[in-house]
Amino acid sequence: MIEILMVMGTVPGRVAVLTDALEQFRAKGVIVRVATTFDPVENTPAATELAEVHRLPTSAELGSRFVRMAKRANPARRPWLRAQRDPWVRRHAKRADVLVALDAHALHTVWHLAQRHRRADAVYGIAPALRAVEKRSADPARYRRPRLNTTGPAPVVLASATRSQTVDLAKRVFEMSTGKRAMKLGPVRWFWQGAVTAPGLPERHRGRIARRVTGNMLESGHAASAKRLALAAQGRLGPTTRGPLLDPIVDAELSQGKVSEHLMTVVRSHLKLADGFLKKRNPGKAEPHVLRAFNLMFHRIVQFDGTTSPLAEDPEKFLAPLHDSEAGRAMAAPRGRQSPAAFPPAGRPHRMLFFTGLNDNFLGPILDRYEAMPGVEVRRLNLREESILPVLSNGRTNVVQHLLAGSSKRADEVQEAWGPHLDWADTVFVDWCNLGAAMLTMIDPGTTRVVVRLHSFEAFSWWPHLTDWSRVDDLVFVSEHLRDLALAAVPRLGAPQGPRTHMINNAMELHRYVTPKVSADSRFTLGLVGLSSLAKDPRWALAVLRELRRRDERYRLKLIGDALDPKLSPAIEAYVRELDAELAELESSGAVVRTGRTDDVPGALTDVGVILSTSLRESFHCALVEGAASGAVPVVRDWPFFAGRPHSARTLFPSDWVVGTPEEAAERILALTASEEVWREAGRAASAHVLSTWDWSVTQKDFDRLLLEPPATAD
Amino acid sequence: MSNRVAPLPRSGGGQRPHAIYLAIGFPPAAKSSAYRLRETANQFVAMGWDITVITICQEAWEREYGLDHTLSEKVDPRVKVIELPLMREDLETDIRAFSEERSIDPVGWISRLRKREQKIFPERDFGGWRYELEKAVVQQHRQHPADLLISSCAPYVNLAATWKLWEEYRVPYAVDFRDGWSLDVIGGGEAFTRDSVSGRWESKVLEHALAVWCVNDPIAGFYRERYPHLADRVHVVRNGYDEDSLPDVSGRSPDPNAGLTFGYLGSVNFTPAFLESVLDGWRIARRNDPILARSRFEVRGHIGAGPIREANRHMDLLKEAAVDNVSFGGPVPKSDLAATYGSWDALVLMLVGGRFVTSGKVYEFMATGLPVLSAHDVDHDASNILAGHPLWTGAVGLDPHRLADSFSEAARMALKATDEDRATARQLARRFARPAVLAPAVRHLTELVQPTPAGVPAPAATASTGDVQP
Repeated sequence: MIEILMVMGTVPGRVAVLTDALEQFRAKGVIVRVATTFDPVENTPAATELAEVHRLPTSAELGSRFVRMAKRANPARRPWLRAQRDPWVRRHAKRADVLVALDAHALHTVWHLAQRHRRADAVYGIAPALRAVEKRSADPARYRRPRLNTTGPAPVVLASATRSQTVDLAKRVFEMSTGKRAMKLGPVRWFWQGAVTAPGLPERHRGRIARRVTGNMLESGHAASAKRLALAAQGRLGPTTRGPLLDPIVDAELSQGKVSEHLMTVVRSHLKLADGFLKKRNPGKAEPHVLRAFNLMFHRIVQFDGTTSPLAEDPEKFLAPLHDSEAGRAMAAPRGRQSPAAFPPAGRPHRMLFFTGLNDNFLGPILDRYEAMPGVEVRRLNLREESILPVLSNGRTNVVQHLLAGSSKRADEVQEAWGPHLDWADTVFVDWCNLGAAMLTMIDPGTTRVVVRLHSFEAFSWWPHLTDWSRVDDLVFVSEHLRDLALAAVPRLGAPQGPRTHMINNAMELHRYVTPKVSADSRFTLGLVGLSSLAKDPRWALAVLRELRRRDERYRLKLIGDALDPKLSPAIEAYVRELDAELAELESSGAVVRTGRTDDVPGALTDVGVILSTSLRESFHCALVEGAASGAVPVVRDWPFFAGRPHSARTLFPSDWVVGTPEEAAERILALTASEEVWREAGRAASAHVLSTWDWSVTQKDFDRLLLEPPATAD
Repeated sequence: MSNRVAPLPRSGGGQRPHAIYLAIGFPPAAKSSAYRLRETANQFVAMGWDITVITICQEAWEREYGLDHTLSEKVDPRVKVIELPLMREDLETDIRAFSEERSIDPVGWISRLRKREQKIFPERDFGGWRYELEKAVVQQHRQHPADLLISSCAPYVNLAATWKLWEEYRVPYAVDFRDGWSLDVIGGGEAFTRDSVSGRWESKVLEHALAVWCVNDPIAGFYRERYPHLADRVHVVRNGYDEDSLPDVSGRSPDPNAGLTFGYLGSVNFTPAFLESVLDGWRIARRNDPILARSRFEVRGHIGAGPIREANRHMDLLKEAAVDNVSFGGPVPKSDLAATYGSWDALVLMLVGGRFVTSGKVYEFMATGLPVLSAHDVDHDASNILAGHPLWTGAVGLDPHRLADSFSEAARMALKATDEDRATARQLARRFARPAVLAPAVRHLTELVQPTPAGVPAPAATASTGDVQP
């Protein structure tokens, strides 16, 4: 009677085919046994009724030593390691006439069994198994005859076993000597530092060893040793290996709130790796390296949570590795549009499409205006709608893939989801230059005019580098200093195929902030509205307050808004710790009051006599302007990110509002609050200025010009 | 490149001319192309040629779709067949032949194999055969000088051997391109550019070809447009059907109470989703139509190759559909074709692709005289062939609900069809009988090659080669 031993390395997708084959074997009187790597009762119950099905011993059953060994082994070898230790398999493999691998994961196991039991046929797949059985049934005598070349295991088994045991031993020694436990020992750390810098070691081994050792040094709490080793190995490594070695060091420093001095080395290394894959026409493998470079360059610790940002300091220099890389060039390549944007024809309403849903904080008055305007038809494309969300999912990765490859399935999906809306619209307005803008420019907008507004944070992010500016007609900034920064950071904005750029201030309905102050004593109350990011730097306000209270104890500070969330980053955590220490003293004496978040900002400003802008960076700072509209005297820190540039807080606001230091701020406040009359007059003047300059009744004309009039040249 | 040009004498001068025919898939390979290859060889013999067929060994076909020795019965005994020991390594199922490396990473191993093969010749799975094929044609030519080489593609690696013989001995050649190479017949666009490695091979070989045969007008049109200067050498030589495959359908009167039997015969080379649509259409039809609820649907042919032979998703779908009276009966030997068709009441023509795809089975289905239900794109070349067939449901695409209507329509046709309808259908197909299609094409090639008594080649025939008009 013919006996078959089948091996399944993975749950079969084709249970019907398997059961049918088992029935066929049964009909032929063949004994079939099946060894599986999974629970057969749960996964292939039908098969258990047709054959003797046996599960290979699990790792848990084989013990922790096996688990460690299996972990070291190539995953494809693991089923064999289990089968090798299974007496059931050994017993039935010896008896089997046909050994069958039913899937690719079972191949290696059957290959080994075939080397040990040379009398049996060893085949891959059900149909070949049936054929082998038919052949044996047709001429059983032929297979009964013992032959020299089918007796005993093949010599290759011995060689293979010795080789794999040696490899396993070497791996074990390496793992032990480079593991976390070993890294706790100073001499071991010293040894590896010497070993990874030893001459003659091939780069691929040096890199791999150094990566493992530094990783385990970091995990065992020896960051300094890890850094020393990584730096020592640098000189002997190529540019693409250096970066990955320093990667965990840079990560560890970022997680402590520090910007590593090696950050750009790692960035350059990842971009170089990406370039290598692009050269081999493998954009899929380039993409993770580009994303990693982005994550590091635009990490919040690097760009947002410090008192300065390398991008703001020197955008060209900071972004040069990106712009000079093949990946950067591929992403910057303009795809253009088939037809230029067309102005809507006369005789029908101007159709405007607004992308909404992600952050509509600055869009309200604009939407209200055009929705109520005769001759304009407005539609909103809510990006939070369930039907749209799948298109946006994993958006950044998909945009990067698309830009690197030049085309993508996701672009087709965007075309399908958004195309009809674009076909309808004459103008599409995308507030915020982020995911919506990047995904929109994956597709050709047809003759629809595309307007994007960039506020502030986006300039410090990857999004402007993932937007195809040749498909954007107009780019709106809310201040000149942001325009300067964006143009320097994204050179293709100034290219011939780039968009027209405009500066239009935020749409603010400032009249609702004009309310009488509760009393003359309000002039001693400083106000700071909005605290939720480190860029607002409330500690600067405390410095001003301390300076004032040194002269006059009546001054106090009212902090309006959500507190900083220390969980967001270690830098914020450290900042909050210091802020809380300062506030502890000032709050107990009543010098500082925290009101928290309020929906009634005009009401909260009625007792505020001086409105502060203490930020490190702002694009416009609406809260300050709203405070000024309320009659509070504005005092603006010369935002350090932009101070000294052609455009800054000093060029945005009347120059007397802007101060360089807390002392200067205190001087301005003391001077303008010296008497009720002086204070009220200064407040009135500030209010009049902001209302006549930035109230929506004024700035809406700029929007009308942009959106309703045929495009002119850039501002 | 070698400088040797035709050092060996041709076999002309009163003897029978000799043609080498690169025909991988020649009987007994159970491949759909085997019929065309067999008829071509037979036609050459009939026109006075000695013909040497070069194909690959029978064991190789066992790894793929298997063998059908009944196909060889109709091969003219004067055809000499040389089987080269070439096999697709990727379809190997004997694990003893695997290296340990392959057993650990079979996917990676095959991908590395393909890379190696494509370095030799830019064709996946077959590129590695180049040198053996080149060697074989040269050796054959030395033994028995050839006056013509006919290269039937696929595989396209045949072009390398074709070129070798031309380059070294200036043996004139014709390419039976069938579905073409640089055309993506399924997608409808260009498969590769002219400046790619494959593109350079194709244009180089076609440049000197005496004739280029394609199976339908859209493919021929593609090549005439791609190579305008070769336009007059591109000919349509359709696939056809064999008379001995046709059942006797006269005097049929199916019993509606017993239900009908629908059949599909051919390679299951479409996607699982395609098959699922047809099976869904069948299920809907069975719910809506009492006759179909009593009927059966038999699928015959080849499914999958190598380790997944008859063990893929298609098989799963067919097994799952067993409760709906769907069955799969495996391949049908050529000698049983007529009986198999004869046991069915209507045929389900499942075809992939669109306007560039004709397939061979459409001719055979048409010629059976049985009702034909089309399960393919509306804009498919099969629709052009079937136009005018009195027992054709028409093409409705692949929507299951519309296919369900087609099943009902086919059942109605099967029950009401008269002998006259069936005879009309057969008559309409007659123009596609394989000899009627291939004989003019082979005659044309013969005229192009065979030297006249004065030693000057006869003028090329101007008639269409094979696309016989009714």
